[in-house]
Amino acid sequence: MSRTASAEEWAGATAGTGSAVPAIATSGLHKAFGPRVALHDLTIKVEPGEVFGFLGPNGAGKTTAMKILLGLVRPTGGEALLFGRSPAEPAARRRVGYLPEHFRFQEWATGVELLDFHGRLAGMAAAERAERIPELLERVGLGGRGDERVRRYSKGMTQRLGLALAILHRPDLVLLDEPTSALDPVGRREVRELVRELAAGGVTVFLNSHLLTEVEAVCDRVAIVNQGRVVASGPLDDLAGAVTQLRLLLDRVDRELLALLGRHGQVARVEGTGVTLAVETLDVAPDLARLLVASGYRLYGLVPVQRSLEDIFVDLVGEVREG
Amino acid sequence: MSVLVVARWTVLEARRRRLLLAGVVLSVAFVALFAVGYTLLYHDQERSLLEAQARGLGQPGGLAAREELLAVSTLLVVLGLYGVQFLAALLALFLGVASVSPELDSGALHAVLARPLSRLDYLLGRFLALAALLAGYVVVMSGSLLLTARIVAGYQPGDVGRVVGLMLLQVLVLLAVSLLGSTVLPTLANGVVMLTLFGLAWLGGILGFVGTIPPGSELLANLGTAASLLLPADAVWRGASYHLLPPSFLAATSLGGSGEGQDLGLPFASLTPIAPAMLAWAVAYPVACFALAVAAFRRRDL
Repeated sequence: MSRTASAEEWAGATAGTGSAVPAIATSGLHKAFGPRVALHDLTIKVEPGEVFGFLGPNGAGKTTAMKILLGLVRPTGGEALLFGRSPAEPAARRRVGYLPEHFRFQEWATGVELLDFHGRLAGMAAAERAERIPELLERVGLGGRGDERVRRYSKGMTQRLGLALAILHRPDLVLLDEPTSALDPVGRREVRELVRELAAGGVTVFLNSHLLTEVEAVCDRVAIVNQGRVVASGPLDDLAGAVTQLRLLLDRVDRELLALLGRHGQVARVEGTGVTLAVETLDVAPDLARLLVASGYRLYGLVPVQRSLEDIFVDLVGEVREG
Repeated sequence: MSVLVVARWTVLEARRRRLLLAGVVLSVAFVALFAVGYTLLYHDQERSLLEAQARGLGQPGGLAAREELLAVSTLLVVLGLYGVQFLAALLALFLGVASVSPELDSGALHAVLARPLSRLDYLLGRFLALAALLAGYVVVMSGSLLLTARIVAGYQPGDVGRVVGLMLLQVLVLLAVSLLGSTVLPTLANGVVMLTLFGLAWLGGILGFVGTIPPGSELLANLGTAASLLLPADAVWRGASYHLLPPSFLAATSLGGSGEGQDLGLPFASLTPIAPAMLAWAVAYPVACFALAVAAFRRRDL
């Protein structure tokens, strides 16, 4: 029943009806550890099939939020739901996979033993485990190393094992806490590919990271958190696109030109015969080009300059810190 | 179902960490040492008694000589089983202390408890597996010792079932209390607390014993009882030790007058059975500890 339901929900979400039960929904989530408040009033919603980036500096409350979503930490206020159910119920975590931040596992066990244990806990049948485990070890680049003890694994290997554990039972929702922190650049690219693959398969991914490039590369939507609060959230394109700029290179810059440009955006900077123009959407670019040429200007260049997530992040986090 | 998965995993851990191997090797060594020592001492005693009788130096009639032989074999069996329960008690404390908090501290438990596994099921799986390992240890060790005594000296304890049953109860008490500690305290602190509690209970038993020596001291007896209520471990062992005594030994000590009986009254064994109220407390104790452990662990942020 739950499988059909989630398939329908997913179809509903992609069709944009908005009637689906969200994969993750929190409202007014609050957590205090004694006097220290880790989360203030966190309200987020992640639709099924989305790749959601939870972005913030270290200590922003990302891991606490994820632990609440897994029933590992009890909130002091507010509510968290996984597919409409409280994560405190073990059954609500059945279709969820998790990579913990420090990816520490029982070191006395071998990789295969650990996967088998988790497979049993996740309710996988013996035949399913026997098929899935070797395939998965191969998939995360641990082929042939499964019978070694985890103690002998390098940091990167342990993290790969953690990824295998997270996706072992083909979950509908995967929560990854800093999934690339121990990996080299090649490993990071592999993780990005894995996330894209999961997303292509309709799996919802919730990604904690302080690495902006990571989030930028794979996420549909992000929430930027700082000091336990969401300071910005939305589709990645909106966040970045809200402050899109165009860089123009012309034969001359005069008053008429600036007036003309002013009607399409805001002139941010003039350097020689180059102008930087802040616009609301990139859609103004073709019209602007036609207009400039028609007005007798020689247009050498018209390039959109998207601000990176990093710029936005630094702006937002910096602002809050100052505030 | 999840309980069995966790229990299986716990036994695998004991195997992988060579706990089982070490336990088996040391146990075999302990039993072998006991068997050799017991056989030599028993036969030595038997021979000297027979020689004394033959030279006419012994007391008239064979009764005293047989009694003395019985006393020696009883003393040796009580000492041997005391060793077994002491080892089992320490093992229970160590296993209990290491049952939850080390993996909590390292973070290895996070991925496990994020699975559709309730904290009750996790603790139950851990507890049952460790209890089964300890029970196996107690049964095999005490069984081997008693069997040795029976073969060598024809030793007949009062009630083997109650001896082993009470020894198992003691192990469950210690496992449950240290598991409770493991859900609320860091590993090292828990270890210190548990060894202190265990030491206190042991001291309480000694105090209680001293309190019974004529003219008797009510204060000491009460202190002993208080310590036993705090941790009913030593009291349960004393209850087990009573059933270890052969009926003929008990008859002889009560027949032989107070002097003989006191001489054989060991500071770590008891000539009286465990009080029913203390037994009830000792049965309720692990149940209460486990319930508290579950309640505490459920509330705990990981």
